[in-house]
Amino acid sequence: MTVRLYHWEPNANSGKPMLALAEKGVDFESHYIDLLKFDQHQPDYLKINPDGTIPAMVHGDRVLTESTPMMEYADDAFDGPPLKPADPKERWRMRWWMRFFDSYFAPSASMIGWSIFVGPAVRQRPKEELEAAIARIPLESRRIAWRKAMFNQFSEAELAESKRRVIFCLGIVEQHLARHPWIAGRTYSLGDMNAFNLGYAMPLAQPDYCNDAKTPHIMEWLRKIYERPAAKKIWALGRTAMAQRVKFLERTAHA
Amino acid sequence: MLELYHSEPNTFFLKPLIALHEKQATFQSRWFDADQLEQFGLGLDGEVEAHLQLEREGPLLRHDGTLISSSFFMLEYIAEALPGESLLPRAAYDLYRARASGQFLGANLGSMVPVLGCVKYLQPRLAAMDRATRDAKIAAIEPQERRFGWQALVDGTYTPEILATARDRLKFPVSRVEAQLAQGPWLAGPNYSIADIDAFAMLRVLPDLAPDVVNPTATPRLCDYLARIEARPAVRAALTTSRSGKPQQHFVPGVEPSRWG
Repeated sequence: MTVRLYHWEPNANSGKPMLALAEKGVDFESHYIDLLKFDQHQPDYLKINPDGTIPAMVHGDRVLTESTPMMEYADDAFDGPPLKPADPKERWRMRWWMRFFDSYFAPSASMIGWSIFVGPAVRQRPKEELEAAIARIPLESRRIAWRKAMFNQFSEAELAESKRRVIFCLGIVEQHLARHPWIAGRTYSLGDMNAFNLGYAMPLAQPDYCNDAKTPHIMEWLRKIYERPAAKKIWALGRTAMAQRVKFLERTAHA
Repeated sequence: MLELYHSEPNTFFLKPLIALHEKQATFQSRWFDADQLEQFGLGLDGEVEAHLQLEREGPLLRHDGTLISSSFFMLEYIAEALPGESLLPRAAYDLYRARASGQFLGANLGSMVPVLGCVKYLQPRLAAMDRATRDAKIAAIEPQERRFGWQALVDGTYTPEILATARDRLKFPVSRVEAQLAQGPWLAGPNYSIADIDAFAMLRVLPDLAPDVVNPTATPRLCDYLARIEARPAVRAALTTSRSGKPQQHFVPGVEPSRWG
């Protein structure tokens, strides 16, 4: 049964199931949805996911639209190496950290990313075109997010708080990886794949706070994941400079 | 050794109590008075996961020395680690549906339901406390995200307009659950599961807090669903752990609202 994956760049939510499927050894039919052209709000895509969010996975007659539970499905539904620890306590820790990344770290990191990358990338288009694009977005929460990005409505206080949280999270993750080799503990797991999508470009986005001197455990952990064949395969699917940032993790890049 | 630190059996605290009773597990109940902020004096925040508390306030399960936090993942842990009746869906896609439901309802009910409950029931109790003692306890709360949840109640942050918006936004998740129940009796496949325990614990208070959103006319399937779950022996046993006799009137601040608006 074919797996069809509708995704944008190997980055954030799109990259999570891409990397999980690659680690599982599952080939998928790749459908690139260009976030910056609002492909995800077009009628063809809304037939697959009426919420207009990416990624979406179609496996037979099943449609999956929540990216982190989608990663667990990739592990549960297919043969291949296990992507979750066998120990229930490590599985719990993996899930706790994935929610921490999804609901605390990522919204702050993405607010900064949307203010400096996504917003400017679409903002030069005519206002009527942008308003029409917003009107096509099914979910109220996504309409609010896009309006803020398109019209640069992030306040200085919001962005400062997002930066404070990103720096705080880098410190928490550094401490965690000083105690454990992987997010769940002893086992490389979906938790690491989730976090890599959030963190692979942190050394470039936050160079003062994520570097070999201040966060040596994060840096080594990022490089170890980048060196895995699955990560190499998935980041090669990127089409923009965004995904190219992963090459900063080459060990020879700064020798 | 299995110990559950919890307050009155409502919302976040109710979930593991139901699951442990469904499993017929032997555990020590460590009850604390959340109205009096006793959870901040338990000395249980040594682990980063327990200190940061993704839901801001909630139960803690200590199993052979490990502290398990975050109520939906606690349900998964209880289902996976303890013997007894399976509370997990069997098929991979049904497992996905359970996890997606937990994530969706956690984001869409986890902040709004506690706000409505806290303003109605907790805020008057906080107002009746000795002000200096109360303010000193709140000022000492770390991290700040948890402190802000309590401070907002003392400050009267939640205006009638904010509460009306919160009730209005409940229509979206409630309508999704009502539509899912048209497809089958449970949220994640043919059997009762952790998805239903998770949903029940947050939804059962809505006929009281948002009667215009959840009522037998507007949401007949949801009301029937709540009654079916409430009739389960394990649920009745969980609710009888209440010390007040009115657990549905006890709330703690919940998940932080989205900072994106």
